[in-house]
Amino acid sequence: MTIADTTGNDTVASDPNVTARDLTSQPRDLQRTFQLVLATVWLLDAVLQIQPFMFTRGANGFSGMLNGLAPGNPSVVHGAVAWNASIVYHQPILTNTLFAGIQFLIAFGIVWRRTCKAALGLSIVWAFGVWWFGEAAGEVFQGGATPFGGGPGGVLFYAVLAVLLWPSDGSDQPFVAARTVGVSAAKAIWVVTWGLLAVLALVGSGRSPQALHDLVSGLNSGQPGWLSHIDRDSASFFLHHGTTAAVLLALACVIVAVGVFLPPKVTQVTLVLAIAVFAVIWVAVQNFGGILAGGATDPNSGLLVIILALTYWPITVARSVPIDRTTVEPRTAKGA
Amino acid sequence: MGVPSWLYYLFAVLMLAVAAYGVTLLLISLPMRQVSGRDVDIAHVFMGVSMAGMFVADWAFGPSGFWELVFSVLLIWFVVRSFQSIQQFGLHVPHQAIHAAMSFAMLLMYWYPAGMSAGSSMSMSASSSAAKLDPGLGLLLAMAFFASAIFTLASPVKGASHHGRHVPVLAMSGAPGGVQRNESSEDRSVGAVETAITTPWLEDASHVVMCIGMGFMLILMI
Repeated sequence: MTIADTTGNDTVASDPNVTARDLTSQPRDLQRTFQLVLATVWLLDAVLQIQPFMFTRGANGFSGMLNGLAPGNPSVVHGAVAWNASIVYHQPILTNTLFAGIQFLIAFGIVWRRTCKAALGLSIVWAFGVWWFGEAAGEVFQGGATPFGGGPGGVLFYAVLAVLLWPSDGSDQPFVAARTVGVSAAKAIWVVTWGLLAVLALVGSGRSPQALHDLVSGLNSGQPGWLSHIDRDSASFFLHHGTTAAVLLALACVIVAVGVFLPPKVTQVTLVLAIAVFAVIWVAVQNFGGILAGGATDPNSGLLVIILALTYWPITVARSVPIDRTTVEPRTAKGA
Repeated sequence: MGVPSWLYYLFAVLMLAVAAYGVTLLLISLPMRQVSGRDVDIAHVFMGVSMAGMFVADWAFGPSGFWELVFSVLLIWFVVRSFQSIQQFGLHVPHQAIHAAMSFAMLLMYWYPAGMSAGSSMSMSASSSAAKLDPGLGLLLAMAFFASAIFTLASPVKGASHHGRHVPVLAMSGAPGGVQRNESSEDRSVGAVETAITTPWLEDASHVVMCIGMGFMLILMI
């Protein structure tokens, strides 16, 4: 497809002086941009899925990783994870190739506008499947689903983003997440999400200093030196102030949850708070999902929560000019 | 159970395909005296051949010093071209920047081969005492390449990964070498083949394949 096809303005494309930049210097479609960011994360996931160890059996392979998640969960969850691990153990290459293929399909499907909805729909189904069969329901039923560790399951945020970024025409006002589902539904999803994060920060082992310490120290192995240094500080902090940290996180989540109902300027402040808190968690606690240690399948929840928060950023009138690709004004190349 | 070697062969073949496509574009563009995108084609040839040798040990050739020199020159070239583009067209992210990042990543792969011992088919396994690439830098570059792949595929401007966004649109709409054809002076049947080969989406596809291959290699180095 050429630019002429996209704009629907063949006369523009036939002008030898018109540059590509001339034709694309329009207000950005923010929903589309976020879809592509989401696709980028899916592509990262797909490539992580084809790491060599994922094709191997044993404790260090993918099936071993799955088996390690099953203990401590209710039988219905335990059985599902164990069943999945068994299949992966017996057919590691076939299953892992299939898993990676689905994630490549989602990533590239989102890119192509004609398949975007199908890919996002598949991503929702896949996310819930992975959450139940591959992440042991985010350890929610085990009492260990603290947001510090990625609770209630990083993969669920892919599904939430898929719903909020479902393609639709219209304006990005008042924020991108509301474009498809509407302002009320988007705010309801926001409140439920952050309310859940607040609760999970306080229940179960979420407020246990020792559990939080162990969460960080368990990830420390294999990390680069600078991240190990940060981990040691995080683990020490949690050991001495774990409960306080959990309460502060819950409080921050509540503030962020109500932030979308406040004036835009205040909302922006609460969103900055959300982004800052989860940026710190993503680096200092989740260790980028363990990717830098070479044994991860996804970047965990921190990155996805940050992307989610950005979709709720209030959009000013000036930035939300409707995109009309049929009225491109040609300009000379040198005038760009 | 071992790691499937077909995966490495698959990536190696894809890398060679990108290199072969780069050679084809260069051969077509030479008679046209059109330089737009030629630097990217040259880079893809070297990157494709080099990375194929990284994925499959038997396909590697040439001393590391040679490849380091090649990618150092390419890095300097694309950095200079990036600054020139910014000077000429104002503050923006020039397409040369991602090619500079890719050249830099290639250099890193030769400077820090220690992390590439994960795959049995891979050529650059080194002793554990060798220096290792900082995984954070590797992840950052990999994410940049994945983002480039996704946004290139989604861009309404096809061919921008090779020619940028400041060349005339007509030059990126299937005209060989990024230049308008003079129909009366060319053999039309040959021209049709050339047009098919140089179609902008195919140029973008080669960039996308290179981005994913290089990102995968960086993930393996972590």
